[in-house]
Amino acid sequence: MRMFATIANLLVKRVLTAIPILLVVSALLFCILRILPVDPAAMSLPPNATVQEIEAMRTEMRLDRPLYEQYGIWLNQLLHGDIGRSIHFRQDVTSLIGSTLPATIELAVIAMMVATVFGLAGGLFLFYVRGTRAEAVMDFISILLLSLPEFLWSLFLLLIFGVFFEILPFTGRLSPGFERPVVTGFLLIDSLITGNISTFFNALEHMILPCLALGIALSPSLMRVLRSSLLDAYQDDYIQQARLRGLSEKRILIRHGLKNAILPTLSLMGVQFGFLFGGTLLVEIIYSYPGMGNLMVDAIRNADLPIIQGAGLTYCIAVLVISIVVDSLYLILNPKLRMR
Amino acid sequence: MTFEIDRRNLLQMLGLAAVGGSVLSQATFAFAADTDNVTIGWPSDVPSWDPNLRFVPDAQPIFKLVFDQPLDQAPDLKLIPNLISKWELKPDGLSMPFEIRSDVKFHNGDPMTMEDFKYTFVERVKSGLKLDIANSWRTLTDIEITSPTSGVMKFSAPTPTAPQWLAFLGSYLVPKKYVESVGPEEFAKKPIGTGPYKLVDYQMNSRIVLERNDDYFGAKPKVKRVTIDIIKDPSARTAAIQSGQVDLTVNIPVREAERLGKTEGLTAEINPFTRLILLQMRNDKGFSDMAVRLAAHHAIDKAALSKAFYGGAAVPLSIPATPGTPGYLPDYKFPYDPELSKKLLKEAGYTADRPATFTLAATNGQFPSDFDIARALVQMWQKVGLKVELQQIEYSKYFELNRGGQLPEATLYSFDNATGDPEIFSGYLMNPKMPFGAWKGQEIGDKILKLFVEPVYEKRIAGYKEVAKEAVETGANIPILQSVQTLVRKKNLNYVKYGNAWVLGSTMSWS
Repeated sequence: MRMFATIANLLVKRVLTAIPILLVVSALLFCILRILPVDPAAMSLPPNATVQEIEAMRTEMRLDRPLYEQYGIWLNQLLHGDIGRSIHFRQDVTSLIGSTLPATIELAVIAMMVATVFGLAGGLFLFYVRGTRAEAVMDFISILLLSLPEFLWSLFLLLIFGVFFEILPFTGRLSPGFERPVVTGFLLIDSLITGNISTFFNALEHMILPCLALGIALSPSLMRVLRSSLLDAYQDDYIQQARLRGLSEKRILIRHGLKNAILPTLSLMGVQFGFLFGGTLLVEIIYSYPGMGNLMVDAIRNADLPIIQGAGLTYCIAVLVISIVVDSLYLILNPKLRMR
Repeated sequence: MTFEIDRRNLLQMLGLAAVGGSVLSQATFAFAADTDNVTIGWPSDVPSWDPNLRFVPDAQPIFKLVFDQPLDQAPDLKLIPNLISKWELKPDGLSMPFEIRSDVKFHNGDPMTMEDFKYTFVERVKSGLKLDIANSWRTLTDIEITSPTSGVMKFSAPTPTAPQWLAFLGSYLVPKKYVESVGPEEFAKKPIGTGPYKLVDYQMNSRIVLERNDDYFGAKPKVKRVTIDIIKDPSARTAAIQSGQVDLTVNIPVREAERLGKTEGLTAEINPFTRLILLQMRNDKGFSDMAVRLAAHHAIDKAALSKAFYGGAAVPLSIPATPGTPGYLPDYKFPYDPELSKKLLKEAGYTADRPATFTLAATNGQFPSDFDIARALVQMWQKVGLKVELQQIEYSKYFELNRGGQLPEATLYSFDNATGDPEIFSGYLMNPKMPFGAWKGQEIGDKILKLFVEPVYEKRIAGYKEVAKEAVETGANIPILQSVQTLVRKKNLNYVKYGNAWVLGSTMSWS
């Protein structure tokens, strides 16, 4: 009961803290985008628009008003659930983000699962082979994995599994001919809800390469942090005491070493998940994945400020939510924090 | 022991995954081998399924499958009848009587009527909806319906390119009854046109699936289903055609196209089309002296640029028009002559100690090899004694910089004109009232403005030829190359090649 009360307390505090953070981020986003030398009025008109038409559009979009007034108008609309209208697509930004966000969340969650499995398994293996020749080899491999960014992994995996072996698809979210159920927007969930198993597996197949690319790029840092946390944990007295009590090495590792060493790894995973959520742009482009990263690239290319603002705020909210989840997990895993 | 068991399990899982993957993949790729279907790897999506909404040149070949334009273009770009069967622009350019076909139906079975024309080009534009076609039809005041199959377009000012615009960006007929009943938002979600294909599935930035419209009034397409995979990354498009996940793709790097052309089962083309690569020039700052502008032009080895960056397929240009279009001057050549460049600079008083200096702006990635061409230009200019600074700009900032007079002396630019009409080449590029050209010289500007209202076709074309030549000879414009489209396809997939790089699924067939 005490744990739930502590978590509820934390949630309330975090939500209250999130409000000023969101306000500051929204103001920063708004001001930075307005300082850029791009003209949203001109971008919203066809290239053959006259100077007079562009000026009229500028007035209509209220770009001729002072910056603080423009921000006030935008914030007021935001509070009423209106993020704005896309300049390029001429659609509500809310609906554009709503239709692309589930694909990105799905991608990011599964990529994080891949990174976690590889990271934890690799970290445990690194620790297991400490002091042996294999440690040096694994160290080298982890540095190699770390030094390649996710877009290079994307291209590499695409060439190996998509072109050379031709065993995995690498365009889109589903193969042609498969039914695409739309209930929540999360394709994996929707296909299961509607009992469309073939769609589920096909969607999963399309996620293998992008998720591997994202996951592999993230896993080395998790491996290394887990290994060093375990090394630190094994310096503590309770490990020696556990050995003296006659516990097996496996039990010591799982029950004592890993339980303590996992906390810094969990923090890193939280940070990485935040980065991952905002870092799928290139991977989505390479794999033609219809998520928010893909939309963001279009928005940047077309100087579509309302989308960039909306997507920026969405990323900010996502990072805040992730940090609350990670802190809650911290409380669950670390009794000492619950005592404070 | 634990590790052995884990490894064994892991190997079993990998084995299962490989088998499962290959089984599933076979299911996937079997689809692509079906000759009733074609899968195209296309570099960009439509901005919306409302075809009147935005001007995006790369989206036109997609729109043309679902919607129809009043007029069409033949592969050689000549205007041909389509929904409109007869038209005649009056000598004053102020009206255009036309007749429409009576056998055209929208995808929902509704017949096409004159009301649909009036709605698309007049009522919809005036309704307050933000449509890009409002700008191309700003002189159109009304469409007078004279019979169920005929009408008259009425203009507030001479509009000599009205027929061309009926086959150009955004001019697609939309169904009045359907759009009014469902509203513009729903229409964009479930679009209905008169085109050769119906939209059956769409996922933004990923895939468009089209099914043949068996009631199409024109030539029935041979392929039943066209799938367009939106693959924005050129490396991914290359991989997609190489692995067989798509049957045809465009705009991949020239070297990759050449390599894939040698691959069994594939064929590659490097096709020049109606896009110019040119230098937008200012008439002030470091370019106030005509001698410097001309010296800069004579110093450019266009053939070498074509060879280095486009496998020699991009045609070197001396005039801001592409070969085969009405404004092109086949016998006119502006010579590559570095010695003449040096001489011009010397005569103008520039020396090695006091060189002529200017800045060149270029985008990086807006069109193939743009920044590489800019770097090569700087080197060519350095060889004749011009001191040039290279500045990278974003394409989205071009119009803003131009309007604020902040573009440097020269800007490397590419300009698309699917119609091939000289108004949309020289006219748009040097009209001082339009946002495209950086040149603000009044003398050429005045001539261009007169041509914008010249209704007599022959006079108009002759005028553009003259003014384009004058612009080149005074250094108001430096055309460089005709751009190319790379296209790789399966050898047994046939398609019709258009001079403006349209790649239409409706023209494809398997052999």
